[in-house]
Amino acid sequence: MGKFTGVWGTFEFLDETTETIEQVRNEGVQPTVISPCPRHEIDHALGNPTTILPWIALFFGALGCFIGYSFPAWTASDWVLPVSGKPILAIPPYTIIGFELTILFTTIFTLVSIAMLGIIDSFRFPIPRAAKKYPRFQRDRFGVVVRCDAEKLEQFETIMKSNGAEEVHVEK
Amino acid sequence: MEKTSGYDPTAGKVIIDEHLGHPGIKATTFDYAEINDEMLAMLDKPHPSYYLLLLGFLLAFGLGILSFAIQVDVGIGYSGISHPIAWGFYITNFVFWIGIGHAGTLISAVFYLTRAPWRTAIYRSAEAMTVFAVFTAGLFPLIHIGRPWLAFWLIPYPNERMLWVNFKSPLLWDVFAVTTYMSVSIMFFMLGLIPDIAVLRDEAIRRGKKLKALIYTPMALAWKGTNHQWVHYMRGYLIFAACATPLVFSVHSIVSWDFAMSSVPGWHTTIFAPYFVAGAIFSGLAMVLTVLIPIRAVFGLQDYITNHVIQSVSKVIIFTSIIVGYAYATEFFIGYYSGSPYERAIFYYRPFGEMTSWTLLGDNQLNFPQIAFWLMVFCNVFAPIPLWRWKVRNNPLAVWIIAALINVGMWFERFNIIGSSLQHEYDPASWGEYWPTIVETGVTIGSFGFFFTLFTIFVKSLPPMAIMELKEGTKPPVKNNVHKGADG
Repeated sequence: MGKFTGVWGTFEFLDETTETIEQVRNEGVQPTVISPCPRHEIDHALGNPTTILPWIALFFGALGCFIGYSFPAWTASDWVLPVSGKPILAIPPYTIIGFELTILFTTIFTLVSIAMLGIIDSFRFPIPRAAKKYPRFQRDRFGVVVRCDAEKLEQFETIMKSNGAEEVHVEK
Repeated sequence: MEKTSGYDPTAGKVIIDEHLGHPGIKATTFDYAEINDEMLAMLDKPHPSYYLLLLGFLLAFGLGILSFAIQVDVGIGYSGISHPIAWGFYITNFVFWIGIGHAGTLISAVFYLTRAPWRTAIYRSAEAMTVFAVFTAGLFPLIHIGRPWLAFWLIPYPNERMLWVNFKSPLLWDVFAVTTYMSVSIMFFMLGLIPDIAVLRDEAIRRGKKLKALIYTPMALAWKGTNHQWVHYMRGYLIFAACATPLVFSVHSIVSWDFAMSSVPGWHTTIFAPYFVAGAIFSGLAMVLTVLIPIRAVFGLQDYITNHVIQSVSKVIIFTSIIVGYAYATEFFIGYYSGSPYERAIFYYRPFGEMTSWTLLGDNQLNFPQIAFWLMVFCNVFAPIPLWRWKVRNNPLAVWIIAALINVGMWFERFNIIGSSLQHEYDPASWGEYWPTIVETGVTIGSFGFFFTLFTIFVKSLPPMAIMELKEGTKPPVKNNVHKGADG
């Protein structure tokens, strides 16, 4: 991660935060927003960002389902236990294993993916160390972080101040 | 109240959410900082009575460990389970605790998907209850098998015996169902905690509490609350809820098939899956109220866990109580309608005992499942009836008493199913009677000690309410309710 160049500010009010986000986006820059809880107003202002998480969950769920059926089927073929006229490969009881492993794989890999995507995003959209350490973002303040070239610093600083930012920090 | 949040194309503006919060939750008038402070105050140094309570639960847990140690030393024969009653207190406890574990996921997943707003204040504690109850339940198959050091034989792995586990057995389905449920419950619980632990971390730093900051920093998994993290988190939470919802219904269905797949009279019936699921939700919600009503009083959380929340849970209890009562009646009807003398005999035996003479009182010798039957009917069918009245639902003490009775009734329901059918199978020559030994009683008391020890530690170490969701439900801090939209 290289040295951060940009501007970040803290806001008390949600509407001032969303206003700032929109003005920053109008300048062609996608900011990172920090908030104490998820707010759909912020999502709307950011252009409703999406995630690939459902596709990851779907893939690993399907994998779990496949293993849930195929593994018992393979073990039944590996050591054949004939019981009266019952089928050696019985699909209905394997459905339970298939269902459970679908759920298990989906949830495990969803959790892992949330962590991995978070790590990847921290490299793609870095935020300055001072913003990371700011202790009120988990309490009652909103933050907007803008990554930009040195020549645009002043412009974004002005946008934040004009929208009522409590603190504005310029990182060169 | 109409929700006005979102982009309004006619106005060309994004309207700030005017939704003042969830109906009935006074906490939604608090601001973000107040919510943080109130939740953190709950984690302050406890009153000495807290330690006394914890000691009591630890002693009960210790009794369980001691009883189990004696059983391991002497052998499984020291318990009351023997031919013909191979399943006694231990499997009763297993089914009971799995049932208790259903409420948390129901509240956190099913009520999340159905957008039941009253869940916000109680879902974290209910989820914790789920995790601890499933931990407790998971111990019982190990205790029951007599040689717990060989429990790994249940896991399918290549071994020197050249044998695989039998995937067609309901007992193995149970292994998969319970381990999956336990894993998903733990992950769901931990996922919900991440933003709240970040709150604890930052508040510890802000207040200069270095030790707490040191503990919470790695636990928060570098959570900063960026929009990138939130978008993955919220979608992930939805996926978890979508997965956990069918899981709630599947787990107790699969537990019920441990019974229903056998040909034992009184067990071999198709109603078992819905009957068990309804019973699990019924007992789980009753346990939620049994635990949360005292916590609400001790911590003064009337603004969060309002009477509205208690009433809402009570309504679900009424609903499941009707299902459970109907299932009891159906069992008896099917026993009669089947024409099978064995089925008819077991459903006579459960309420009235031995069929020595054709009188309603039988031979007048009370046995344990008979006591269990009448306790079950009283606590599960009749005790919840007063909840139909608003005045009763609005009285936390009355609700607490009813909830405690339901817990008792649901434990005895499981014992009634297990004990009576095994005592009276097909051949009168193999009939027998079951009374628990002191070891089984000790382990049962120990299981309650274990559950309540974990829960007591939880309420003082992690936020018992979801800070993030309480904030999400409150009115956001806004200066001028309306601002210009993203598209113009």
